[in-house]
Amino acid sequence: MSRTRVLMLNWLVPVAAVVAWEGFGRAGILPQYLATPSLIVGALWEVAQTGELALALGVSLYRVALGFVMGTVTGVLAGLGAGLMPGLRNFFDPIVAFLFSVPKIAFLPVFLLLFGLGHASTISIIAFSGFFPVFVACRHSIMSVNPVLIWTARNMGTPPRTVFFRVIIPAAAPQLFAGIRIGLAHAFVVLFAAELIGSKAGIGVLISYGEEWARYDLMFAGIACFAFLGFMSDRILIAVRRRVLRGHIIGTEEQGVR
Amino acid sequence: MIAKARALLVRWYSIPLLLLVWLVSVEGGLTESRLLPSPLRVWAVLVEDVGNGTLVYHAYVTITRALTGFVLAAVVGIPFAALMARSATWRNLFEPIFFLGYPIPKIALYPIFVYAFGIGAPSKIAFTFLECLYPIVVTCYFGFRAIQTRLIWTAQNFGASRITVLRRVVLPSALPSVFSGLRVALPISIIVVVITEMIGDSIGLGYYIEVSGIRFTFENVYAAIVVIGVCGFLLDRLLMLFRRRIVYWQKGESPLRA
Repeated sequence: MSRTRVLMLNWLVPVAAVVAWEGFGRAGILPQYLATPSLIVGALWEVAQTGELALALGVSLYRVALGFVMGTVTGVLAGLGAGLMPGLRNFFDPIVAFLFSVPKIAFLPVFLLLFGLGHASTISIIAFSGFFPVFVACRHSIMSVNPVLIWTARNMGTPPRTVFFRVIIPAAAPQLFAGIRIGLAHAFVVLFAAELIGSKAGIGVLISYGEEWARYDLMFAGIACFAFLGFMSDRILIAVRRRVLRGHIIGTEEQGVR
Repeated sequence: MIAKARALLVRWYSIPLLLLVWLVSVEGGLTESRLLPSPLRVWAVLVEDVGNGTLVYHAYVTITRALTGFVLAAVVGIPFAALMARSATWRNLFEPIFFLGYPIPKIALYPIFVYAFGIGAPSKIAFTFLECLYPIVVTCYFGFRAIQTRLIWTAQNFGASRITVLRRVVLPSALPSVFSGLRVALPISIIVVVITEMIGDSIGLGYYIEVSGIRFTFENVYAAIVVIGVCGFLLDRLLMLFRRRIVYWQKGESPLRA
């Protein structure tokens, strides 16, 4: 198959969907809640000019970034501890095994009461939810480092510190990044739910305003922003990983990334 | 015997320890007992609401929705992934949608699902279907692509028909990836249903949590969390049981996946 044909096929479905959406919307066939793409772009422009968009984006980005960083740092630290020390592993394993499949958003009422409706409750629940995938990935990646590598390094008289930084960490890094990536995805899901359920600012609120006032173009504009934010942060994480893991061959071909 | 009990204690000590700390700090008046009800109260509420059927009913609603969406996603997603893996046209048509759409937080689309399918079970099931479809298709796709071509050639050489090749070669070699895709998607289905129920519904565990949080009866919130945890754990065990039955030639069970 030629390159142009592949490219054409790649773009066929998305472009056809948007064209059909716009066309059917103008013809009045679609239900009212499906605002056409041109209207959505108009709404985006509108909120961008009033400054609402920048504010909402700023608030959401601030929350998700801080929560994600907090969850990742604690997850990595606890995961390192659990991977290296059996005592800590025995402490964390049962708790994580139980809480892993519980939707962390279920704790939202508790966090809301603890930290109020503002930033703190959203940030802390994002961190709480991001902790688990990062912890599990970190713990498993440390445990699955080939012991031969560690023995070899020790045999050559490498001090423990160097073994840790030059052998264990690089060997565990690809799997760790996979966990961090899942944590990032969780962060956005929790952000959205937390902003819809208990918050007064951010993109989630933009979406629910659009819903309440039947401004469907505004609702879609919020959805588009949210999707864009999630997509771009994932891309940034992938770019960072490519930088950090330069030269790694095994384990960098992660699923779902091109 | 004693050694076994000792091993069990070392492995699981943290949960009783945490419960004890929780109990002592609440009963000793160190924390606000409204915010953090004593585990005894949680247990009492759990026994009561499971006994009178309230929690059983809500759990039944939530799990039914989650499993319906999950099964639909598996039924559609697995053949679709096979098709994408074996046909270049289909691959070029749909690959961008799945691979570029993968990191987009799909929860943002939930309001549209509410408009299209109403606020009850259909919108939740449809949304769960979408959320589960992505991990299932992406993981299975890699499984179907990773089949060694020489196995297929060998089968064809022996005169196997297309159907036989599919049934006896392609499917068995892709099954482990199919199961890991399903295992990623299963907790997602529960999480998504609980979140959407928290955003808006009048039945289900998500609703139960949301309403108990508003009423400040946090012992009910914790009781529901325990129920979700137990359900998630049991469903995961069930899936692994199926896996061991169907993929009987692969002995080692993959560890808890992030």
